[in-house]
Amino acid sequence: MQILLETIDLTKTYRSAGLEVRALRGVNLRIGSGEMVAIMGPSGCGKSSLMHVLGAMTQPTSGRVLVGGKDIGRMDDRARTEFRCNKIGFVFQKYNLLPMLSSRANIAIARYIHGSHNDPEGNRRLSEILRLLQIEDKMDRRPAELSGGEQQRVAIARAVVRNPAIVLADEPTGNLDSENSKIVLDMFRKLNRKFGQTVVLVTHNPELTAYTDRVIEMRDGRVVGEGSVDVGWEQEGNLMSEPVTEES
Amino acid sequence: MVKEIIFANMAKRPVRTSVSILAVAIEVTLILIVVGLTMGILTENAERMRGVGADIMFNASPGTVALSFNTSVMPVAIGDLLRDVEGVTAVTPVIMQLNSQDGGIGWVFGIEPETWDLVTGGFTFQEGRFFEGPDESVIDDLYAASKELAVGDEHSVLNHQFRVSGIVDHGKGARLFIDLEAAQDMTGSEDKATLFYVLCDGPEETESVVAALIETYPEYGTVPMADIVSMVTNRSIPMLDAFLAVVVGVSVSIGVLVIFLSMYTTITERTREIGILRSLGARKGFVVRLILQETLTFCVVGVIVGIGLSFAIAVAVTSAVPTLNILITGEWIVRASVLALVSGILGALYPSLRAAGQDPVEALAYE
Repeated sequence: MQILLETIDLTKTYRSAGLEVRALRGVNLRIGSGEMVAIMGPSGCGKSSLMHVLGAMTQPTSGRVLVGGKDIGRMDDRARTEFRCNKIGFVFQKYNLLPMLSSRANIAIARYIHGSHNDPEGNRRLSEILRLLQIEDKMDRRPAELSGGEQQRVAIARAVVRNPAIVLADEPTGNLDSENSKIVLDMFRKLNRKFGQTVVLVTHNPELTAYTDRVIEMRDGRVVGEGSVDVGWEQEGNLMSEPVTEES
Repeated sequence: MVKEIIFANMAKRPVRTSVSILAVAIEVTLILIVVGLTMGILTENAERMRGVGADIMFNASPGTVALSFNTSVMPVAIGDLLRDVEGVTAVTPVIMQLNSQDGGIGWVFGIEPETWDLVTGGFTFQEGRFFEGPDESVIDDLYAASKELAVGDEHSVLNHQFRVSGIVDHGKGARLFIDLEAAQDMTGSEDKATLFYVLCDGPEETESVVAALIETYPEYGTVPMADIVSMVTNRSIPMLDAFLAVVVGVSVSIGVLVIFLSMYTTITERTREIGILRSLGARKGFVVRLILQETLTFCVVGVIVGIGLSFAIAVAVTSAVPTLNILITGEWIVRASVLALVSGILGALYPSLRAAGQDPVEALAYE
């Protein structure tokens, strides 16, 4: 499998309330193109910080973040913004839809920023995504008029409509009940299979790993284990406590 | 798409939007009304001077500026000498006195009916007749309307009671006219005049008559009426520009501060929204443009409301006080509009740059 995303000795330190927080302490990982990967770990283990660095939202303190061979960690703000625009789709736990806009406009703004709002191929793709996510009839509603699951599906549509290379989802089911969580994860899986996009799910929910190709486990700002779900899950039973493969 | 965000944001915060629009409207209105009132009064005064019909104003002080008349007096007998100057058709003496009674301020002209008619072509009476004694006055229609006076009514002028003998069309020098001798008595200027209006044989004679008068009477002031009107319309009144600059400066400052406050608070409220846009790959320039376009949108609405409000106020004021003239010109509408838009951009610039400079991660975490 071709490696799309790779981090080398990645660290991230920030200050919070006057204290220095070492969120990432030398993360090394590789994610292949078209993979659906879960990054798991307890709260405060650095998952979200890792996602922000992988998504070019912030610069690492040290180390490298290679996406398609380019080190996005050394890009300036303008280049990282350009990179986010073209290569990354975010899905957040709190959906982060613009509350004053309809679902249609929330998706359209992403295409507008990308510059693909008039692209006929994009229109066709959007129709397909909406059908797959089963939200075609929700397009005129504002976020407040949608259930949590529906809002998250709109957020997923917004993330994937520009056909980004990588979709980063931070606790995408964190605010959903189990039924909606299952629907959303099914859809991530379908989108991953249908469009071949690389999906990285950040979560502390072990049930979510059943939908991914691979699980990377983090603790205290480091990758402490990873493994294939097909093999590792079945073999070890609980990947959270017993990672299949130790990171060398 | 951007329009949709702008209008959605404006609709989502109706109070903030209304206050911002109102602030811009007040800024525009303040400029248009104050400037319009100033220019209106000056222009109307100039029109009334032009309406006298004379070619030259001859007064006691050389170099006297149009609207700051020196009320020094000179002998009425000089009028006879002026009539003898070649090219002069008629001369009429006037005593000018400021009247500050009846809740207003304006000139009272003491005039000589016979010579006044020769120079000015005479009043057009809407009602009544010329005064026939020292206790009668003639007033113009706007003064009559503003003071609700009719022929036969009594009113106080320069601490004297006068009875209105006639109401005339406005536009000839002053709004109140009394007998020259009565004015001389009241001001202690027996056989004196403040100025003479001189009518020449033709407009082409004005230059030569002015030259002759200046040569013969260098101790007095000789000013072609056209220059007086021109001085007003050219806005060369001392300190007028400074006054207007202060009014405009205060108005623009109000606009900048209100827009700044409005956008600063809304940007804080919209921190998360900006974080979302940045996470979607929106450049800083996109965020700045979005906020500036939103500001410009309600500035444009504010400008339209302000212009409408100004015309409404002008109509209301001139209906209530017919002697006031608010002159709203196209030039000042453009100036006020541009100033309002510029002040809007200035007010929104810092908040927009601050919004664009926010860290996307921190912005998304904002509650």
